[in-house]
Formats: sequence, C-alpha cells, structure tokens
Amino acid sequence: MQTIIEVKELRREYVTYKGAIHRKKEVVQAVRGIDFTVKRGEIFGLLGQNGAGKTTTIKMLTTLLAPTSGTCKVFGYDTFREEKQIRKRINFIFGGEMGVYRRLSAEDNLRYFANLYRMDVKERERRIKDILELVELTGAADRLAETYSKGMIQRLQIARGLINDPEILFMDEPTVGLDPLGAHMLRDLIRKLRDAGKTVLLTTHYLPEAEELCDRMVILNHGKIVASGTSAEIRGDAESLEDAYIRLIKEDAV
Amino acid sequence: MTRSVLLSTMLLQMKQSFVRPMYRFCLIVSPILNTILLYEMFRNSGSANFASYVILGSGLMSLWSCICFSSAGDIHRERYSGTLALIFAAPAGFPVIILGKILGNTLLSMASLLMSMGTALVVYRAPMRLASPAYFCIALVGMIGSFVVISSVIACLLTLSRRTTLYMNCIEIPFILLCGISFPIEVLPAWLQYVSRCLAPTWAVELLRMAVQGVTDSAGFWRNFGIMSALTMGLALRSTWLYQVIDRAVRRKATLEVC
Repeated sequence: MQTIIEVKELRREYVTYKGAIHRKKEVVQAVRGIDFTVKRGEIFGLLGQNGAGKTTTIKMLTTLLAPTSGTCKVFGYDTFREEKQIRKRINFIFGGEMGVYRRLSAEDNLRYFANLYRMDVKERERRIKDILELVELTGAADRLAETYSKGMIQRLQIARGLINDPEILFMDEPTVGLDPLGAHMLRDLIRKLRDAGKTVLLTTHYLPEAEELCDRMVILNHGKIVASGTSAEIRGDAESLEDAYIRLIKEDAV
Repeated sequence: MTRSVLLSTMLLQMKQSFVRPMYRFCLIVSPILNTILLYEMFRNSGSANFASYVILGSGLMSLWSCICFSSAGDIHRERYSGTLALIFAAPAGFPVIILGKILGNTLLSMASLLMSMGTALVVYRAPMRLASPAYFCIALVGMIGSFVVISSVIACLLTLSRRTTLYMNCIEIPFILLCGISFPIEVLPAWLQYVSRCLAPTWAVELLRMAVQGVTDSAGFWRNFGIMSALTMGLALRSTWLYQVIDRAVRRKATLEVC
C-alpha cells in the first residue's frame, strides 16, 4: 500500500513570553522528534494522555501549524510549504461543539463549506443530501445549528468534514461527548470510510475504540512515541490494550 | 468559482452580523447618536458645511465602526467558534473569504449612511443636498474601495494575535480622527497630517466633501481621486505580499485557535 503520510523527526515547540518588563521566555516542547507513516486506506490511531502531543501533530498534518523541525508530508507534499496541494484533498474534524456556524442551519453550513471547496452546485446539493442521510440529520437539516444537541452538532461537524469527499480525514477525539448511540454511529461511519478506500487518522482517549477501529497506532507520551504497531503488537502479553497502555505510560515516567 | 465563494461569504456574513445586537446598535442607533452629537458640536461653530461634516461625518463614522468592529470582531468570533482554522485552510483561500466578509459587512453597513441622513432630516429638518451627485457616487465607490482594502489588511493582521478585541477598539477612533471623517485634518498637528495624507480614506473623505459642496475644480477632484486610487491599489498590492507573510507567521505562532 502507498504511503500517504510521512512523519520523520518531527518536532514542535511553543514559545511564550511572560512579564511586561523582564520578559521571560518559556519553551514548551509539545512534539519531540516523532516518526511514523500512514498508508492509503488505513485507519491510524494517535493515542496518548492529555498534553501528549496528539492535537499538535494533527494540526501540523492538516497544514494549520508549522513544525519547528523535521519532515511532515501528506501525499508527498510538505505541509508547511506546499499546503495548497494538500488542503483540497483532506479535511479535519476537531472534537467538541466547535467548528460549525451555529446561526445557520445544517444545510446552510454544508452549502457554505462546499462553496469553500469550490464544488459545483449540482454536485454540492447531491453531496449534502447524501451526507445528511449518512449522519442521520436529514430530518433536522433546516433547523439552526444552535438548536441542536451536542451529539447533533458533532454529527454536523462530521458531515462538514466529509463535504469535499476527502482522501484523508483527520479526526481529533471525534467521540468526545457523544452518547453511546452517537459514538456507535461514528464508528460505523469510520469503517464505511475505510471500505470506501479513505484513510482516517484519529486521536482518541478511548482505548477499546482504538482497538476496535485502528489498523495501526502509535502511543504518544510527553511528545514522544512510546509504542507503535497493531493493537495486538502493542498489547503483547497484557490482558488488554488498556493494561498495556497504562504499563507503557508508567514505564515512560520512570 | 471565486465569485460564488465571495457571494456565499457575503450572504453568510450579512446573516450572521445582523442577528448580533451589537452590530444592530452600530448600524441603527450609533448613526442617530453620532448625527445628534455632531450637529450640536457644529451648530455654534459658524461652519456653513453642515451636510459635509454632520451628515456625512456621522454616517461615515458609523460606517467605519460597523466595518471595523465586524471585520476585526469576526476574526475573534471565528476563532472562538472554532471555524477560523476551517476557513484559513479552505482551498478557496483565506484572503478571498476575508474579502467576502468585508464586502458583506460594507454592503450592510451602508445603511448607517442612510440612518444619518434620515436623522438629520427628521430631527433637524436638514436634508442632505448633493451639489454634484455624479461626483458623489464616484467618490463613494472610492471610499468603499479604500475602506474594504484597509479592513481586509486589518482582518488578516488580526489573525496574528489573540488580543483581537483590544486592537479593534484601538483602531476605531484614531482612524476616524486621522482620516478627517468628523473634523478637518487641518486641526491635527502638522506631523500627523502627513500620516493622514498617506491614508486613502482621507482623500476619499475629501472627495465626498467636494462632491457635497459642489465640484468647481474638476481637475482637482480627479487629482485627488488619482491619489486615493493609487494609495488603495498600493495597499492592495502590498497586502498580497503581506498575506503570504501573515500566513506563515500565523502557523508559526499558532494563533488560529484559542489556547
């Protein structure tokens, strides 16, 4: 299978300054030289604690953040210098209730984002209809997003993320706050995307979900990779992925 | 395709702006208050050019406030609603989307000019008389163009910082004073007048006033129009370069989202 994401020695630092007169520079190393590749059609998981560097990594891959150093390539293009070649072929969903216009209906939200991807009107309308059915929002399509429940907003976010039929979908903790039915629907959707040949890179805290969905994964801790491979490879002789995960994080802390 | 991005962004912007009470205040109440305030200030000044300073001044003050607050405030709102990253990375291009937003704001904000004219007519029975309506239309187009270009640059610059609301408030009043919107720039210190003359809206305000009072020197009008156009075009050209710098800086500084 073709490699479509390539990350090599990737680092990202956040620099902040404190104090008005005696400015003190503070450097936080969010990602400290990580390496991994993702192949076309895979579901790839980034697992880790809060502050492990998952979101920072996703932001660099989605062209929203510049790496401090290292290689970060999607479809063979540099995410910082050749972002135009990447943006039309990917999409991303960040967990929570953000990322939609709350004073617009679901249909209007999708119509607007479709326009930003320069879709023609016929294709746009067909796509909106299909996606709304897929995320089960057809019945509420003309309601303002501000009247939606948290789960409905997340489904609308997912619909928005699919609007341009992306080859790679990046999902940052997509099931956060979803009820069991919503989370189940999302997992089904991710499997459908894989069946359709799409690549999904997701971050999650929920280890059974990662075990169920991901073909391969990496576990990040304090910006470094502490384990990588299939869930069976990472689990090893542990009873569950969760046990293996806890052991890895504890070992790394020592 | 760029046209459809611009149009849909304009429509989205107008819908989103009008539902906000603060925007409606800037659009409807602020021009009424500005007109009353400026009228009372100019009443005993002995100045004969009531229309050009009171009606035009208050209308333009409100127009600028609407554009400035919306354009700058939009970056703030988009950032807090998590949509700034989405429009920033959209293939349509962030500058095109920002332009659409500002055009939408500007179109809607033109109502503030009408509110000022209406207030002067109803409260002070002072109708706006245009001595040179054709010149006025030309000057108005120039004014809108200069406001749009400046606002686009400001909106793009504000993606660099999370202190958007602070800068937004810092920009509004100095710009009104520097461009001679409510008072002639001649009242400013000489060194500040040089700064004023470097801003395209200063020349646009001058053109509007000439048109309201009647253009007697056609060559002078076109000379000022040429200066205004050159300044606007110059800024528009520099903004394309500036945008590339901003695009890189935003991604280095990680300011697209709330921390």
